[in-house]
Amino acid sequence: MFGWHGKILRVDLTNENVSVEEVDPQMAKDFIGGRGWSIQYLYGEVDPTVDPLAPENKLIFGTGPLTATPAPTGNRYVVTTKSPLTGALSCSNSGGMFPTEMKRTGFDLFIFEGRAERPVYLWVNDDQVEIRPAEHLWGKTVHQTEDILLEETDPKAKVACIGPAGERLVKIAAIMNDKHRAAARSGVGAVMGSKMLKAVVVRGTQKTPLAEPQAMRELCKLVHSEVSRDVKKGSSLREYGTAYVPPVTNEIGILPTRNFQTGVFEGVDNINGPTLTENYLIRPKPCFGCPIACGRDTRVDDPLYGGEGEGPEYETIAALGSGCGIDNLAAVAKANYVCNELGVDTISMGVTLSCAMEMYEKGVLPESDVGRPLRFGDADAVIALIKQTAYREGFGDALAEGSYRLAEKYGHPELSITAKKLECPGYDPRGAKGMGLLYATSNIGASHMAGDLAYPEVFGVPKKIDPLTIENKPHLIHRFEDAFTVIDAAGLCVFLSLRYLFDSDVNLWPARLTKLMNYATGAGYTEETLLQAGERIFNLERLFLLKAGFTKDDDTLPRRMLEEPMPEGPAKGHVVELDEMLPEFYRLRGWDENGVPTNARLAELGLKC
Amino acid sequence: MKVRLKLFAVFRRYLPPGTQGNACDVEVPDGTQVSDLLSRFGVPEKESLLILVNGRDAGPDRVLRDGDVVAVFPTLAGG
Repeated sequence: MFGWHGKILRVDLTNENVSVEEVDPQMAKDFIGGRGWSIQYLYGEVDPTVDPLAPENKLIFGTGPLTATPAPTGNRYVVTTKSPLTGALSCSNSGGMFPTEMKRTGFDLFIFEGRAERPVYLWVNDDQVEIRPAEHLWGKTVHQTEDILLEETDPKAKVACIGPAGERLVKIAAIMNDKHRAAARSGVGAVMGSKMLKAVVVRGTQKTPLAEPQAMRELCKLVHSEVSRDVKKGSSLREYGTAYVPPVTNEIGILPTRNFQTGVFEGVDNINGPTLTENYLIRPKPCFGCPIACGRDTRVDDPLYGGEGEGPEYETIAALGSGCGIDNLAAVAKANYVCNELGVDTISMGVTLSCAMEMYEKGVLPESDVGRPLRFGDADAVIALIKQTAYREGFGDALAEGSYRLAEKYGHPELSITAKKLECPGYDPRGAKGMGLLYATSNIGASHMAGDLAYPEVFGVPKKIDPLTIENKPHLIHRFEDAFTVIDAAGLCVFLSLRYLFDSDVNLWPARLTKLMNYATGAGYTEETLLQAGERIFNLERLFLLKAGFTKDDDTLPRRMLEEPMPEGPAKGHVVELDEMLPEFYRLRGWDENGVPTNARLAELGLKC
Repeated sequence: MKVRLKLFAVFRRYLPPGTQGNACDVEVPDGTQVSDLLSRFGVPEKESLLILVNGRDAGPDRVLRDGDVVAVFPTLAGG
């Protein structure tokens, strides 16, 4: 095989046993890789009604055919499992260095099954695979864990691990890699913790075989040169990181502010890219092989908020900054460092805290339960409560369940700004209506990365569209969800692929991406069959959700988004007219009026119900 | 008449030196279009850029009114 190694590493943690399997070439092509292969295995082997924290759930790390190839940003992996936070699917994506190294071990996927009797870690050194004891690591932070593991394995190895949060089955726990990168969403860290798996360490030297290496190199060189040309002209991502975004979303009135009560934040000038670059940036940081370098190596020298690490990213600034009414970037950076050290999703942490803040200010969350006042703007409370959440101490034990269970406990589930119990990311959909349809229909819950229509609605990529209309949004969300599924499954980063591997048209024709896939795998995709593979993956994920008990009633948004008009700003007066978009979306997807894929659509895609 | 110009992301460099934050207030004659404002500040119009007037999409030929807030930034991505 080319592009793919065609090999799965199966890790039976119950019996501390490993085995290697070959992959069916037709399945490989039909499901692209990474996220696509993972749902194929998960659907086939796990009962969708399983308790996500039970040994019967499986945790799958998936690289794609373009991971560890010359493809620019071919450096990603996806963590697939059933989510303990949502009960739906998790497809958490991360970059950095770990995914490339994992692919170099000669395996495309790691499938973790069962539960170990004691804490363990997996050490994969090319084809030498060991399950090793990890009692000495249990309880350690993410950074401590990585430092110790690199000493006991190989200084050039790469590490993915959980922190104290994952160990304690915190439902918003992340799996961290390379210390500061995160497969963050949906509580994947808790699944890893439930299996007593502390870390996965990889060291690999296997090159990814390519079907047409010369053609691949030439196309990659061309793309690289275009990116470099654009970066030279002035790259906002290189100069400011994703932190350049708050003024943009604020300007169109969709920056989440105080638990999405409004979309305009008076403190936005203090939490933006220039503030970060001028005060805290050490240097831009690229993931493996990326010419953009949107990552931030940062340090805060401050008596209260001192720390060092990477970030904060836009989503973190929205969730832990404006979302919590905090306009102190040093405090947001510190909150970010703490989340990374302890292994917690910054988006869900921030939106869970802001939910608690709104409940506190409305008098439905007693101060005695929290143990301190909890008003919007209280950065010290945020930092203290993140630590308590990771360790399930005091009120942190309630926060650790995510905002939906927290709000439900106090009788106000409508104050949890979630879809399918996953906390909403940094775009208020009342001012970007395509995002509303996306949050309601993504297979993991409210995710911006499942089909990020903010690209055209907010940033004008590939072209600018009106964020306040609903016309054509069902069609666009359908296309974006399928295209983003392809990008995830291929093992690429969205930032570069969307701009340089698709034609400059809002319908996302994957001309160059198809070429790259074929040069890597030799599998003979056309643009149509590649997008169709994305659609196939998306539909299989949907079937998993339906079997897990989800219905069309779950394809919805918080009441705030549907019924509370935006109070101010350019989106003033708007709500998300979801009921006017959803039926058309179902129809375009070939689903019936209950959101169930029809037999005809399944047959077209080669899927069985 | 007075308008406020905000230049975001790497366009910040086109603001006058010493500008606090990313905005400045500008006196302009009646009938000024967005494109006039951009050339006055040296913002290269050949770049793919986004123009918002009072937070809503606008084109370079949009005629400005007193009190308008014009925000301009290069098209790129977030996450």
